[in-house]
Amino acid sequence: MILSDLLDARVHDAAGRALGFVVDVRLVLDGPPDGVLAPPRLHGLLVSPRTGTSFLGYERTDENAPAVLARWFRRRHRGTFLVLWDDVAASGTDEGPGVVLRDGYRRWDPALPPHRGA
Amino acid sequence: MSPRLRRGERPFPPDERLPEPPRPAGLVLDARLHLLDRQVVDVRGDPVAIVDDVELEERDGRVVATDLLSGPVLATRVFGGRPPRSRWHRVAWRHVTEVGVVVRLGVRGETLDVLWVERWLREHVVGRVPGGRHDPE
Amino acid sequence: MKKFLAVALGVLTAIGGFVDIGDLVTNAVVGARFGMSLVWVVVVGVVGICLFAQMSGRVAAVSGRATFEIIRERLGPRVGGANLVASFLVTVLTLTAEIGGIALALELASSVERRLWIPFAGLAVWLVLWRVKFSVLENAAGLLGLALVGFAVALFQLGPDWGELVAQATRPQVPAGEPVPTYWYYAVALFGAAMTPYEVFFFSSGAREEKWTAKDLSVSRANVLIGFPLGGLLSVAIAGCAAVVLLPRGIDVSTLSEITLPVALAGGKVLLALVILGVVAATFGAALETALSTGYTLAQFFGWSWGKYHRPAQAARFHTAMAVAVLVGTLVLLTNVDPVAVTEYSVVFSAVALPLTYLPILVVANDREYMGDHVNGRATNALGLVYLVVILVASLAAIPLMIATGAGG
Repeated sequence: MILSDLLDARVHDAAGRALGFVVDVRLVLDGPPDGVLAPPRLHGLLVSPRTGTSFLGYERTDENAPAVLARWFRRRHRGTFLVLWDDVAASGTDEGPGVVLRDGYRRWDPALPPHRGA
Repeated sequence: MSPRLRRGERPFPPDERLPEPPRPAGLVLDARLHLLDRQVVDVRGDPVAIVDDVELEERDGRVVATDLLSGPVLATRVFGGRPPRSRWHRVAWRHVTEVGVVVRLGVRGETLDVLWVERWLREHVVGRVPGGRHDPE
Repeated sequence: MKKFLAVALGVLTAIGGFVDIGDLVTNAVVGARFGMSLVWVVVVGVVGICLFAQMSGRVAAVSGRATFEIIRERLGPRVGGANLVASFLVTVLTLTAEIGGIALALELASSVERRLWIPFAGLAVWLVLWRVKFSVLENAAGLLGLALVGFAVALFQLGPDWGELVAQATRPQVPAGEPVPTYWYYAVALFGAAMTPYEVFFFSSGAREEKWTAKDLSVSRANVLIGFPLGGLLSVAIAGCAAVVLLPRGIDVSTLSEITLPVALAGGKVLLALVILGVVAATFGAALETALSTGYTLAQFFGWSWGKYHRPAQAARFHTAMAVAVLVGTLVLLTNVDPVAVTEYSVVFSAVALPLTYLPILVVANDREYMGDHVNGRATNALGLVYLVVILVASLAAIPLMIATGAGG
């Protein structure tokens, strides 16, 4: 599977309700190294009510300068949440059903950890 | 207008505070923010390619990235669709030594397929014009 | 002492390199029709380019990323690609205007028809790009361009009514007989001439060429904050000469000989020769900068190896792209288009394309991942946001004004 298959895919819950679109994919470098670094593990999906690159991820970091622009960009992706890959039941490609979450999935705050956990 | 859910369709209140997830035990990369469209440089810092996509595979019950993908895929990235596998150039993850503002590799660019246009132009065009192989003065 | 010399060289290069064919033509046209009443636009433009060049130079020095690399990384392929197309086309248009300017100056100097000079100019530009080191090329063109100070000398020699000139500049009003939209059209054009996008591609890529780090920032700040305003003064002198000599005689500027007429009147053949040397150097330098910028924008967006510090064989796609751009510019000029008209269009379209490069730089200059502790201060951000508004207004107004006034006719 390639990454861009997931990006901009529609996301539905198990009952078929539309939840939004995959706007980014969260990868974590934990686990045994492949070469020098651990290979990025697919940790979760960031789901937003709209598509479109989130121009610098203002809604996920605490960058807040320049103030006016930060506020504007943050508003565009209000309602973004993180869903862990374990909570994904199926991820079809292209015109398929898109990403379907399993029953009882949990939504998490999309903020990146400080210094991104490094 | 990029596709989006209309206000009435949104399933959750927009300003609710969500709980913080369990903290992952390693460097976190958001693909579009930190990995895609980044420059890949070789061990000497010379540009090699742009990260256009990433190949994901299941290994031991986890889904991990195995290769960075690059290639003449600007048209499909802008307009949609997917090029056939043969058009991708792969840079294996095991060559990656650092992911920061650029993605740094531990090998020389010469060893990778992805630079074939550069090599071709060097051998057949630029290299043949007088002065092409000399340092500028 | 060494640092002082480095700063002095940088400042002198910045002054001599500030004026290009766009500034030359637009300031003269404006001076001949509007007197000094648009000088405030030059001031606004100079402050803007200082701000913009400073930010992009700092971003390049601290993060090691040049403008179009940042545009691709931050805007993604779709928006970034559109940005590339627009910026590239405007830069090629400007390159064409600059090569045309070299030919016009050589024609003026020699009375040999300009069409014969065009291929020569194109070839010369390419040869220098091919073989000459970056720092040599920048310094030589910049220093020789200082000969344009002849315009300031001429203005003094003409002995104008300084009070009148200052009054016109500080209390601007649309002169009788000129429609208001035309005034604003030329304001946008003059703004675009001062704040050319290629300047920023060149400046930030040049920072990478010369391997600047955070330590070099104070030198670059001095170059920009002293050099660019003085260069702006030269632009004003060009407008002043046109205002004093051409405006009262009702002469409209459409050729280079009209632009240099005040110099000939004030200082005779010697001063004229000096100024023509300056025009050749300034346009040649600007042609080199715009050609390099076409290479930089493409190479940085597509991730090719780039830079004059490589031998050409090590940056084959970069050099091929630039050679093609210079060739295209030369061929367009050989179709006998009027280089002055090309210049006028290039400055207006520069104003249109400006927000595309300005916004990503402003945002990245605040990004801690790229900039660490060197992010913008609050004053810079405040000024940056003001200029964002100015740039957006100019960009949106440019095409409607061009249509409404028939390109300033």
